[in-house]
Amino acid sequence: MNMNKKIIEIKNVTKIYKIDSLKVNALNGIDLEIDNGEFLSIMGPSGSGKSTLMNILGCLDIPTSGSYLLEDEDVSKLNDNQLAEIRNKKVGFVFQTFNLLSRTNITGNVELPLIYSKGKKSRSRKDLISEVINSVGLAEWVRHRPNELSGGQRQRVAIARALVNDPAIILADEPTGNLDSRTGEEIMAIFQSLNRQGKTILFVTHEIDLAKHAGRIIYLKDGAITGEEIIKDPIDAQKRLEDMPKLEDKINSLGENISL
Amino acid sequence: MRRILENIKIAFKSLALNKLRSFLTMLGIIIGVGSVVAVMSIGAGAEASITENIQSMGTNTITITPGREQVSMGGREVSAESIGGAQTGTDLMEQRRNFINGFTENEDEEISAGELHLEDVEALKEEASLLEEIVPVLTGGGSTFSYMNWTGSVNITATSEDYLNFAGYELEKGNFFTADDVSNSSNTVVLGYNVVTDYFGKANPIGENVKINGKKFTVTGILKSVGYTFGMSADNSIYIPITTAQNKLYGIDTVNQITAKVTSEEVIDEAIAEAKTIMRIQHHILPGGNSDFEISSSAQLLEMASSVTDIMVILLSSIAAISLLVGGIGIMNIMFVSVTERTREIGIRKAIGAKNRDIMIQFITESIVLSLSGGIIGIGFAVLITGVLGAFTTLSSPITASPVIMALSFSTAIGLIFGIFPAMRAARLNPIESLRHE
Ligand SMILES: Nc1ncnc2c1ncn2[C@@H]1O[C@H](COP(=O)(O)OP(=O)(O)O)[C@@H](O)[C@H]1O
Ligand SMILES: [Mg+2]
Repeated sequence: MNMNKKIIEIKNVTKIYKIDSLKVNALNGIDLEIDNGEFLSIMGPSGSGKSTLMNILGCLDIPTSGSYLLEDEDVSKLNDNQLAEIRNKKVGFVFQTFNLLSRTNITGNVELPLIYSKGKKSRSRKDLISEVINSVGLAEWVRHRPNELSGGQRQRVAIARALVNDPAIILADEPTGNLDSRTGEEIMAIFQSLNRQGKTILFVTHEIDLAKHAGRIIYLKDGAITGEEIIKDPIDAQKRLEDMPKLEDKINSLGENISL
Repeated sequence: MRRILENIKIAFKSLALNKLRSFLTMLGIIIGVGSVVAVMSIGAGAEASITENIQSMGTNTITITPGREQVSMGGREVSAESIGGAQTGTDLMEQRRNFINGFTENEDEEISAGELHLEDVEALKEEASLLEEIVPVLTGGGSTFSYMNWTGSVNITATSEDYLNFAGYELEKGNFFTADDVSNSSNTVVLGYNVVTDYFGKANPIGENVKINGKKFTVTGILKSVGYTFGMSADNSIYIPITTAQNKLYGIDTVNQITAKVTSEEVIDEAIAEAKTIMRIQHHILPGGNSDFEISSSAQLLEMASSVTDIMVILLSSIAAISLLVGGIGIMNIMFVSVTERTREIGIRKAIGAKNRDIMIQFITESIVLSLSGGIIGIGFAVLITGVLGAFTTLSSPITASPVIMALSFSTAIGLIFGIFPAMRAARLNPIESLRHE
């Protein structure tokens, strides 16, 4: 695929929520183009419309007005079934609250998108599942359930699930919001590595420090884009991790100090 | 196919998660299906055993009993009346008086019930061309029977020498009483199988003296076991010459019924018509008058027996159907609860690409699995019930394929019907709102 090709093109997208007679203009005419293979951060204060935008980009919702081309296909007027198919094939979601099935083990969770997709006989399901689970470093945990995993591990499961159908874009809405900074950095490292392999990644955050892991940041306020910034030298999460002392090391040294 | 298996797996998982709740929900179906299958099997078993018993007598049997046709005559309602077997003292007096006045009253069309006499048997034997083995029967329940110092109650069947052939019984030992015994009113008795084992054990009763209602009889033969007819066993009966019963035990000259074999099944209707004509002449009934007897065939008995069991089955099945309905409503209720509880799961599945149809199928599958499991457990209960019944009674009611298939399709249908609304609600949930659901 041509790396310079636009993967997402939205024009004048608005979203109005109606609660009884009250109207909330969550998005006020958004224009946005995203290149294939880009790593884009969306920054903005709470309530600025970040999640609304992500839901529309991820085909979980449709805009009130405006056009949305995803891989040159107009998806702004599709019905429920067609949207479900797009979500299944072209989009990988990663949520702040993980959204894993708590009663299902890791394999089952990662398998989920495959259950709802037809065809795809090129490779056996099992191989595919174990490959993505390996790629996020959870090979030993396949039989465990989400509640037996740490937050960081759960988010890795969610990433594996997002990857299993080989989607065009990965949408991550505050994926590190519930994680400590080191674990968050680990998740960012995974995203960066995926991006290097060619995946388009949209990343929502309200922390500038995290936003700077991407190649571009757009700023959102009151449902409108207020600015854009190209990051010439994005933060390398892997490097950061190496500089960051591990929590255990800290505790160990603390323990040594006490014993001395 | 794979998707279906997947859904069944999901269904079992989610049901296993709330084992007690699932079981309680299934209870209505379990009880409903269990009773439907049990009732249908028991009904079929009962009908089969009755049918078998009637057929063992032969489907070409006719029975003449006293009684009037239920027709109003000259504005006066005349009802049928039959004469019971066991006689009390006052009844006996009544019978005698009726007998003395019998003919005059009969001619006046005054007497309300007809009577059957041995003369009728003779007339039929002489005139009926389509009947054979014509036997009179006079039964008396609860007669006192004693041997040595053992005393008990038995059923007496008083009849003619032809009865053995007619009923198709076989002798274990000795002889049935003869025509001479009948004409001489001799005190001979043939014992049913159970009577022998009850009173004689392993001893040989032939030639022994027993007492029936205080009168001395000699045992001439014993019968092989014959099993049950209408819940009553001929094995508990004793058989004596009809004249002996009339003259020495009851002091009457009537019989309860006359039974006969028709020469062939094809001519049963003609045989009944013939017997009717002979009997009417014998009873001096004028043309246009009502017969003072009734003639029924074993085929009619069969019909009656099966219609009785049918009514029973319909009645009990409708009770079971109500239980199934209640069970279905319970399933619907719990499925609504399940949809609410799993709103977030539904949101996740939809976000990941599940279509409305996928969610719908998932929840319908779950409700069918719930209902069908109840059905299968219910069938298990039915097997248990009929098994226990079979062990403690002589009623054998094996579970046949048809009620099982019916139960399985019923419980599937219930799962489907009562699962549709909850599944539809689940399918229509908005994914974003569902994901936000706590
Ligand atoms: N389902 C909804 N119904 C009504 N208003 C909503 C709904 N979802 C979001 N909003 C409103 O739209 C605005 C943008 O919300 P959101 O996109 O969640 O912001 P963010 O993710 O940036 O915090 C907020 O004012 C919010 O209250
Ligand atoms: Mg948000």
